[in-house]
Amino acid sequence: MADIQLVNLTRTYRQGSHTVTALDGVDLRIPSGEFTSIVGRSGSGKTTLLDVAGLLLRPSGGAVLIDGEDTSRLSDGRRADLRARRIGFVFQEYNLLPALNVVENVMLACRYSGGARGNGRRRALELLDMVGLGERLHHRPDQLSGGQQQRVAIARALVNRPALVLGDEPTGAVDSQTSDELVRLMRTLNREEGVTFVVVTHDLDLAAQTDRVVRLADGRVVADERAGAPAVACA
Amino acid sequence: MKEILNNLLRRKMRSTLTISGIVIGIFALTTMGALAEHFNSMLAVGVQYAGTAIAVKPPAEQQASLLPLATGSQISRVPGVAAVYPAYQVMADVSGTIQLGPPSLIVNEQRGVSAYGMPAMTFASGRDLAGGARGEVILGSAMATSYGKRVGDTFGLPLRPRGATADFVSHRFTVVGVLAKTGNPTDDFAQVSDADARMLMADTLPPAVRSAVDVNAFTQSFDVYAARGTSLAELDRIAQRINDTVSGVQTQKPSEMVANFESTSTTFTAIFTGAALLALLIGGLSVVNTMIMAVGERVREIGLKKAVGAHTGQVLAEYLLEAAVIGAIGGLAGYGLGLGLTTLVDRLGSSGSLDIFLVTPRLSAIALGFAVALATIAGILPALRAARLDPVTALRSL
Repeated sequence: MADIQLVNLTRTYRQGSHTVTALDGVDLRIPSGEFTSIVGRSGSGKTTLLDVAGLLLRPSGGAVLIDGEDTSRLSDGRRADLRARRIGFVFQEYNLLPALNVVENVMLACRYSGGARGNGRRRALELLDMVGLGERLHHRPDQLSGGQQQRVAIARALVNRPALVLGDEPTGAVDSQTSDELVRLMRTLNREEGVTFVVVTHDLDLAAQTDRVVRLADGRVVADERAGAPAVACA
Repeated sequence: MKEILNNLLRRKMRSTLTISGIVIGIFALTTMGALAEHFNSMLAVGVQYAGTAIAVKPPAEQQASLLPLATGSQISRVPGVAAVYPAYQVMADVSGTIQLGPPSLIVNEQRGVSAYGMPAMTFASGRDLAGGARGEVILGSAMATSYGKRVGDTFGLPLRPRGATADFVSHRFTVVGVLAKTGNPTDDFAQVSDADARMLMADTLPPAVRSAVDVNAFTQSFDVYAARGTSLAELDRIAQRINDTVSGVQTQKPSEMVANFESTSTTFTAIFTGAALLALLIGGLSVVNTMIMAVGERVREIGLKKAVGAHTGQVLAEYLLEAAVIGAIGGLAGYGLGLGLTTLVDRLGSSGSLDIFLVTPRLSAIALGFAVALATIAGILPALRAARLDPVTALRSL
């Protein structure tokens, strides 16, 4: 489990002769074990926030603290190591490797974390059982439905027992029924594995099922509401 | 490795075409290299002979290749000379048929010559000639195979050509030994005693000359040896002394002969290797093309790998390994085809003493190693491209 803190995060980039501000001073603390959704219109900075929190992108300013460690000063290699051991990703388009079967796809994350192969396989099989794919271990991605592929991606995100799982529209490519199943699965894993989940989504039904909804607009947090608590509007 | 092989199988046509480029290149390197190795092994014998023996011949202006045997005594008194052997050489096949490979020759034995640095004879079967024996012959391995002769068989030498005149003389010899294969021209030699060699030499002379000359007093040339281990420079000096003190003979400096052989060897190797390398370069370019396309198609995979913790170096290593595997597969296939063809050609040509390929362990290592190295080098630029991809951009590419 990990405590994630985003401190005065800014991220700008050049687009032709213009400077675009994707994140404009975002302050956010996500306690360990929380299931948080980040919502907002297209261009609000949700995906950029996810990329920065996942150490895929360096902020232009501010810091990302994981359990108090300031990751902004880390080298690319050290950031890659942190991603391998402490962060899992679930993408909208699943991003499974077509050349590998289900088990091998889940174990891909073990390849770069330096863990023992045997332990990784045991963990992969355990997770695949949990996500309901124990009978499809040797199937290739093209032999699975969209929902099944996303389950594999979720298992892959958890194989190294990360502190944090980041989801970028994890239900964006599946139908509503499958979406509900995936959300229930993530909730179950959040509770049973104690992993902090942060998902970026347009799906308000998904957001409604999370512990906390953070709304972004123009790169800033404009609302932050916890389930059962009054909404907090942010300046 | 499984991921690499599966990725190759996913694009069967492209992988096949790419690997074919390597196959063709390594096939060319193996076959042409085997040709060069064979020529070089024959030349190596020449280098060994030229670097050990001093060939003493009649002067250039004397076209008849005859020297008095008594000249040998004069030569033996030259400082540095340890042994002098008369040397006879007669064609075994006088039919005039054009054949590839070294000619079949009948030569005289030089008993004890291994004491001076020449390689000792190794027998596959039978024995050496009995000292002074007449009517006995030792055959080189290729000659025995070509004419289907074994120990105990009789053999007419020189071979009677088709349509030979009634007065053609072919002497009957008993095969007493067959030498082990050496891979050099001596495999096509037949060895007889000095007396028999003189007899065969006499048969090559016009009848009028034969009746006027005591052929037992002549030799065609001399092979002169110094003590084992004598340097090439010292052999040159001995050759010069022979030229200066013995009349009616001519020697060539052994170092010049060695240089000629080595120059020929270098030329052969350069020609054959150059052609093969050209074919290989084409194969290498096909690997570059395939790897660039593979990186382009797998941008999101690369982004994913980086997202789950792959370092730049690890991505680089994975793509270099993929290129190396392509090279290894192509190399093995090309080498296998080359080995198969060279073996088949040599087997088919063995009856005609046509043994023109030699696949050595060195050539095998070069062929396979080069395939892997070339493909890996060809994969460097695409692998660097993959390794340097920004994960965010890669993950969101279409």
